[in-house]
Amino acid sequence: MGELWRRISYLFNRRRLDAELESDMEFHREMAARAGHNNFGNTLRMREQSREAWGWTWLDRLLQDLNYGARILARSPGFTFLAILILGIGIGVNVAAFSFFNMVALKLLPVRDAASIVRLERRSLDSYTSEMAYPSFSFYRDHSRTLSASMASLGVPPMQIDDDLQPFSASFVTPNFFTELGTPAAYGRLFTPSLDSSPSSPPSVVLSYELWQHRFSGDPSIIGRTIHISKRPATVIGILPYDFASLGGHGPEIWMPMVQQPYFIQGSKVLTDWKDSSSRMWGRLAPGVTAKAAEQELRSLTHELRKQHPEAVWDENEFLQVSFGGHLQIMQPRMYQLAAMVGVLTLLILAVSCANLGGLMLARAVAREREIGIRIAIGAGRARILRQLFTESLMLASLGSAAGLGLGYAVMRVLLSFPNTPGWLSAIPDWRVMLFTIVITVFAAAFFGLAPALQIARQRQHKAIVRQILVGAQVAASCVLLIIAALLVRATQHVIFTDPGFGYEQLISVDPQLGRHGYSPESARAYLQRMQTRLHAVPGITSVALVKLPPMGHTVSNSNVQINGRDVTIYPNWVEPGFFSTMGIPLKTGRTFLPGEKHAVIVSESFARQQWPGQNPLGKQIGEGDTKDSVVGVAGDAHINALNDDDAVEQYWPAQADDMPGMVVVARAIGEPGSFAPAIKSISESLDPKTLPEIRQIKQLYRENVSRIEMIATAVSAIGLVAVTMAGIGLIGLVAFTVSQRTKEIAIRIAVGARPIAVLSAVLRQFSWPVTLGLLLGTTAAALGSRLLRVALYGVSNLDPIGYAAALLVLSGIVAIAALLPARKALRLDVARALHYD
Amino acid sequence: MPMSIRPKEGMPPGALPMLILRVLHSGSLHGYAIAQRIHLLSSEVLAVEEGLLYPTLQKMLLKGWVTADWGVSETNRKVRFYKLTSQGRAQLKAELAGYDRITQAIQDILRTA
Repeated sequence: MGELWRRISYLFNRRRLDAELESDMEFHREMAARAGHNNFGNTLRMREQSREAWGWTWLDRLLQDLNYGARILARSPGFTFLAILILGIGIGVNVAAFSFFNMVALKLLPVRDAASIVRLERRSLDSYTSEMAYPSFSFYRDHSRTLSASMASLGVPPMQIDDDLQPFSASFVTPNFFTELGTPAAYGRLFTPSLDSSPSSPPSVVLSYELWQHRFSGDPSIIGRTIHISKRPATVIGILPYDFASLGGHGPEIWMPMVQQPYFIQGSKVLTDWKDSSSRMWGRLAPGVTAKAAEQELRSLTHELRKQHPEAVWDENEFLQVSFGGHLQIMQPRMYQLAAMVGVLTLLILAVSCANLGGLMLARAVAREREIGIRIAIGAGRARILRQLFTESLMLASLGSAAGLGLGYAVMRVLLSFPNTPGWLSAIPDWRVMLFTIVITVFAAAFFGLAPALQIARQRQHKAIVRQILVGAQVAASCVLLIIAALLVRATQHVIFTDPGFGYEQLISVDPQLGRHGYSPESARAYLQRMQTRLHAVPGITSVALVKLPPMGHTVSNSNVQINGRDVTIYPNWVEPGFFSTMGIPLKTGRTFLPGEKHAVIVSESFARQQWPGQNPLGKQIGEGDTKDSVVGVAGDAHINALNDDDAVEQYWPAQADDMPGMVVVARAIGEPGSFAPAIKSISESLDPKTLPEIRQIKQLYRENVSRIEMIATAVSAIGLVAVTMAGIGLIGLVAFTVSQRTKEIAIRIAVGARPIAVLSAVLRQFSWPVTLGLLLGTTAAALGSRLLRVALYGVSNLDPIGYAAALLVLSGIVAIAALLPARKALRLDVARALHYD
Repeated sequence: MPMSIRPKEGMPPGALPMLILRVLHSGSLHGYAIAQRIHLLSSEVLAVEEGLLYPTLQKMLLKGWVTADWGVSETNRKVRFYKLTSQGRAQLKAELAGYDRITQAIQDILRTA
């Protein structure tokens, strides 16, 4: 310990101590001279050796290297700027992607003990849902010992405030929701178990900060005032803080206590219905309990629940999946797959920029040949040169990563500026992002700096092989990026120009939420009957039908099966006979349902083709157990709830009486579908003022969906083009360098009568095989990797030949231009001067 | 960074620190005096190379065996005097014991082989 201390104290007093040593030695020399000895030797060298005892030489050398590196970089600002730009893009894209992943899946929510929060979801062998019935939630909450607390939230369709036209998102939560999260109120108070657990407590509502700011102009006197939520009076008791962090990224504008749900949504039986899976459950693991242990206990509770309430549980395989809930997003395996894919793409960009910079460094090395040669000649060791060059690379990488951090921050700022972003999210990098940046910086420096440094230290910078590998790597990586971009562009085109299988443009869906208002099957049937009749009478509405799962609705039901070894996702739906004509889905063979028909099913064309290839599907049987349903018709493919899933197939069943409370009306209209909203509102008002149906224009939903993929395709294309441009610039540099290096040889060739083609091929030959190999490797990698992308491709094959051809054509074009542009210089050589020169 | 103390002629490897410790045992000395003392006491057999003396002294400073303090030389010049610390004393004892054991062993071989 004492030694370390003395070592450090030497470091801080080194100047004085070194002077003292110098004085010692000077004195020694004086005395020796008096005694007649004069062989004191090189004092500087001796002092250096003495200093070595303290073990700080590495620091001196590092400072020397840094100093020298800084001078070298400052001396060629053009190169330095270009290098920082190239690296900044490469590192910045990665930092941005990681920052996003960090925000979504790594950063803990700023709530009390976020690490112990879990999300509980119903799972079975072939079914899953993220929601459960409220009575089931109560059952688990009351019986679980592994959970120290359980919270639930119940999302509902947007609700109206007073007489506003624009509805606001709303949710019911258990009264412990905010107390468990430790959320303080910005104004007033939030729900507490002691005050908000009884249905008889005065109806109260908590508002989000945003809503309070925009709808109530941030007026604190709103606390205690009565407002109307979907026509029901309630007292505003509090405002959520601006930076409120909710669970699962779920942040409605209006919050109400769970027990008062039947008050706000009249007639609702959600709180007592064991079959209405609509509540999200969250839990807090008791101290020392693992997620696995909780899952075990809940599994036995599910068995118990099944005995008491068989209708609440699907089958004997059902269990509650316990997943970590303390992040912004509950990550599903599929999302990790997506994240890995994005990670690979961004690393490819880094690879392009590193390979590019490596090429630049090598070309520069030739220019620095004299300098390095001199340093070796005066005694610098190979290791010392290598270290010096690597220090330079690290300096460049650090500058580049600073630029990259800036870029990542800017990207995050843009992302967070989107509406509905939770206020607590911050674009400022945290320690994870910093650590990631440092790691990736060292990694990048090693990648672009090490190979050239090795070559230079060994005085082999004229060897072509490293340059060729760098070119190959750049071409391969940009090839992958460009192909993926091309596939996404193709997918966008496909979505925009391909008929989705149903006439979405003229459709309106009207969801009266009868089930939520406690309608019985009979009263629901009567309501829907009248609603349909009244709608028919509206001028412009040509066709009306009922469907359980409307296009692009809030609820999606599907199951994954294998048919003849191929994975398909079956989307079932329950419809009334008029559904197909209203939706504009053609019937290919057979017929639609008869009124009141049972044990019949209509399947989509794709399903029929895969399940019974080459056979007549009509009359075939579907279903398990004794109740088989026979196929009465085949409908055209229409992925109304899975626009982007090419593996989707549909099965339609006739809606039965019990389905009525959950049915949604779809209507086809001539003219602007948006103009029918007032008419529909007044119809529902006259049928039952309690219900406030959600009216949606399918065209608008469809466009939102398309614009999302357009945005992704644009972003990926931009990144791909940046990569290709970088690769192109890199290639221009390398070819120009080769030409300048071989000026004399080329001049001789021209002098003895070589044709231009022969001259060009002499210059470019060394790049032809790396480019070809890069293209081949890149295409193969893209073909293999893009399989993961299938879901995002909206039905375009991941081996789509047009996409590949376009990408390869663009890339080859850019490579050819990048190679020929500088190579032309070889043809215009002044032969006489080139040969006279030295 | 390992220190390189190359033995010069007449100086057995590793012996210099022990000799320095020993001559400092009787009182603090400046660098030149240490060299002189060793030279004289060895009847002018052992010469301490200056290029070896100062790196060794630095190493001993680092180890905490000696400290250096300003004093005035016999020629009336300000110079640093090296002084043994208690740690240095302990080290000297240990080195002497080790040295005795080794020489004894060598003697034994020389006598009986």
